[in-house]
Amino acid sequence: MIEEAAAELEQKSIPKSIYQEYDCEVSESHVKLGSLEVESRNLAVNLRGCERAVLLAATIGRAADFMIKKYSVSNMAKAAVVQAAGAACIESYVDEVEAAIREEAGGRGLYLRPRFSPGYGDFSLEYQRDIFQMLECSKRIGVMLTEGNLMMPSKSVTAVIGLTTKERESCHMERCSLCDKTDCEFRTQNTSAGGERDEF
Amino acid sequence: MSFKEELGKKLLFFDGAMGTMLQAQGLQSGELPEIWNVTKEEQIYDIHKQYLDAGCDIVKANTFGVNPFKMKGTGYTCEELTQKGVCIARRAIEASGRKAYVALDIGSLGKLLEPLGDLPFEEAYEAFRPMCIAGQEAGADLCLIETMNDTYEIKAAVLAAKENTDLPVVVTMVFDEDGKLLTGADMEAAVAMLEGLRVDALGLNCGFGPDVMCKFLPRLREVSSLPIVLNPNAGLPVVVDGKTSFHVGPEEFSGIMKEIALEGVSLMGGCCGTTPAHIRALVEACREIPAMTLTDKQRSVVSSYTHAVGLDECPKVIGERINPTGKSRFKQALRENDLEYIFKEALAQQDKGAHILDVNVGLPEIDEVKMMREVITGLQGITDLPLQIDTSDPVAMETAMRLYNGKPLLNSVNGKQESMDAVFPLAAKYGGMIVCLTLDENGIPQMAKGRIEIAEKIIAEAAKYGIGKKNLLIDTLTMTISTGQENAAITLDALHHVRHVLGVHTTLGVSNISFGLPQRELVNTAFFTVALSKGLSAGIINPNSEAMMAAYHAYCALNGSDCQCADYIARYSGQDGQPKAAKSGEISLFDAVVRGLSESAYQAAKKELAVKKPLEVIDGELIPALDKVGQGFEKKTVFLPQLLMSADAAKAGFDAIKEYLKAEGDESASKGTIVIATVKGDIHDIGKNIVKVLLENYGFHVIDLGKDVSPELVVQAARDNQVKLVGLSALMTTTVANMEATIKLLKQELPACKVMVGGAVLTQTYADMIGADFYSKDAMGSVRYANDLFGG
Repeated sequence: MIEEAAAELEQKSIPKSIYQEYDCEVSESHVKLGSLEVESRNLAVNLRGCERAVLLAATIGRAADFMIKKYSVSNMAKAAVVQAAGAACIESYVDEVEAAIREEAGGRGLYLRPRFSPGYGDFSLEYQRDIFQMLECSKRIGVMLTEGNLMMPSKSVTAVIGLTTKERESCHMERCSLCDKTDCEFRTQNTSAGGERDEF
Repeated sequence: MSFKEELGKKLLFFDGAMGTMLQAQGLQSGELPEIWNVTKEEQIYDIHKQYLDAGCDIVKANTFGVNPFKMKGTGYTCEELTQKGVCIARRAIEASGRKAYVALDIGSLGKLLEPLGDLPFEEAYEAFRPMCIAGQEAGADLCLIETMNDTYEIKAAVLAAKENTDLPVVVTMVFDEDGKLLTGADMEAAVAMLEGLRVDALGLNCGFGPDVMCKFLPRLREVSSLPIVLNPNAGLPVVVDGKTSFHVGPEEFSGIMKEIALEGVSLMGGCCGTTPAHIRALVEACREIPAMTLTDKQRSVVSSYTHAVGLDECPKVIGERINPTGKSRFKQALRENDLEYIFKEALAQQDKGAHILDVNVGLPEIDEVKMMREVITGLQGITDLPLQIDTSDPVAMETAMRLYNGKPLLNSVNGKQESMDAVFPLAAKYGGMIVCLTLDENGIPQMAKGRIEIAEKIIAEAAKYGIGKKNLLIDTLTMTISTGQENAAITLDALHHVRHVLGVHTTLGVSNISFGLPQRELVNTAFFTVALSKGLSAGIINPNSEAMMAAYHAYCALNGSDCQCADYIARYSGQDGQPKAAKSGEISLFDAVVRGLSESAYQAAKKELAVKKPLEVIDGELIPALDKVGQGFEKKTVFLPQLLMSADAAKAGFDAIKEYLKAEGDESASKGTIVIATVKGDIHDIGKNIVKVLLENYGFHVIDLGKDVSPELVVQAARDNQVKLVGLSALMTTTVANMEATIKLLKQELPACKVMVGGAVLTQTYADMIGADFYSKDAMGSVRYANDLFGG
């Protein structure tokens, strides 16, 4: 069933991404990214020392959401598999996009900080509105925001990636260390979380 | 001459990009260009002027991004920015001294419509409406709905334009490399819907440069009978140092566009990255080229939100199962608002190979309009098959047609004047193919000749509405041979004449032929095969009948529409003459549930019920099996999909028990009722759905309110059903506040009602803080709590 669901998802998914690079100013708890002003201590820590940063948005498209809806009616187990496969799919797609950014930045002697998304720590989801406008997400990659600033299609990710000239600062820090949810089951397993998780 | 009169007769030129020009003048990324209509009016005017000087015939007003969502908080209304935008364009035209048209430019709302997103169709319509009205009042000559990638949003915009203005409507869409919209819709599906809605021209814009876009045109010309628009970018966007630029220059642009124009197109211009220089070169290169010749492609198609289904040499199967007639279980589902049952019927028929699904949800005792609305909306969320809207209530029919994302099949009109007066105007407005029953005020003619005459009458009446033969599907009416053996011949003779002499597609409700006879399937399959050979274009049948589908596939192999019998061979090879493999040994109910085998669980439960009481079966087999799997899940030796498969198997077992109890006249198998919901603002519901499945399979009756549910609705449902347990789910930190509000209102209104909560962001601490009675860290936790609470 897992292979079947993954194959269907792969066949129907339409991955798309967009990213742009901006000047970046960082203070104690404030980050300025192009024209975007963000109040977030966690993001500031993540970007400390970066003069440039990339805003990134990516999605695998609507197929996963449709499949989950469909299988929620006919086969709940398969719906759960698609849910998990979809989350894995968008994670690995974002990794791919990030690799392309890394390669391009490497050519300019820049290294990547770990990506940081609205909703992580104190980086408020409210900033999704601004990011969406800056990247023209709905027009370019077909991702929209709901009233509550959630992304649809749900298997989508937005993130900020700092660019630094110092290699040792680019080490991939464990994302769990930035999260406030200290009693999360995943924390003990050292699993990094993606754009979303929705186990009940 | 008006735009509509000129359209299609000569090649017309749109202007180029507005955004690109504005960015060059200092528009910041994130800034709304439409506000410049007020703050920097002269700059907008100047850009229009430059394009007019370059020779364009149509100026796009600077209104692309105007909509209530983007204007919120800007201090400007949609009406004033639209009005202003159109006026500036008008003024530029007057100053240029040229004859040119103003297009009211309508772009995407930037929100995703239901069922995937959170914007209801009618709200999208309302969002487009004010700017359509303001645009016409300000003097626009046409509506250009552009850069669209979702047919449903396009439909809302087209209806808003058509119902509130009398402007011509032009629609351009963004297709990806594979020729699909972001929704997965292919070109044919989009064209079918747009032609049905009777837009004036359609085409492509944005996304690519002309070099890529031209590859889609042969296909578009093949499927569309309307004038075609092409507004490409100046190549692909290239982002350098945070700035987007386009690299195809005016000369290269106009060179490729000229080749395209020679192959045939009706309107051309530019999108992102094109400048007055591009348009000047384009007009110079193509001015003398005539517009493409328009021909009616005579395609008979219906469509869903992803694909079109054409009626052609390959006959089609219309699944008949979503219909209460003669089905007590289906009637019960309608009375109990059990949509899931209906959706399962849909998916089963799709799995069996139906091409189109008939949807009939009429029962005298229910609100058919409301039910139709819910079922059509729900079905479009789970199946991508085109739907056949089957109702005799014109209000229900219009409701469904409005909400339908595609070009539907309508079932039906007949030769009565009253029926034609009701149905044809709807089809003319929303589009659709129409099933036409050959009966009229005098009933069903006894002879083929009479039915043919009614068919001719219907065809003539449809023509008055501009509905051509290609959009009709004549039903020459199947009557049972048990009341008159000549019935089959009458139906088939009329069918043959309609298909081959009148040249119109045909349909039949096939299974009526055997009413009142034993072993009906034998007669049905034979009649189906004969009807197909007489020219049946689409049979309304039960796709779950293997014999009927076998007759269908065999026929397609025989008539050659199944090329090289490929489909037939793929389906039936390896099954030669072998009886169905007997299930290897019977297994107990307990094992069937543990192993997640639904069918075995159902059979095993039935067997057990012959010797045991229902409660013994539940407590002795079903619950222990579920507990075993549940414990495994908690120890992490069993994973979620296995847990859910076992839950499904248990449900099949419970179904057997429910059927047994019902036969005994006792329906009290439920352990208690629980209301569950995903809280307001949150649209993730898979976690909640998993909990629902598990609770149901432990014998609870679950009322699922869905996602994005307001506190008031939760309280009302809890009160109306007198439940003592409510389950709430929230995924996001931001929506936990709504969970808290819901709990607060529940505690205030219904103090005795317990609340359990769950969701990725929740913790025991959070749950305590917001006043929940129980925090469930996974789906099994909620079952355990419910069991304790209800004393199970």
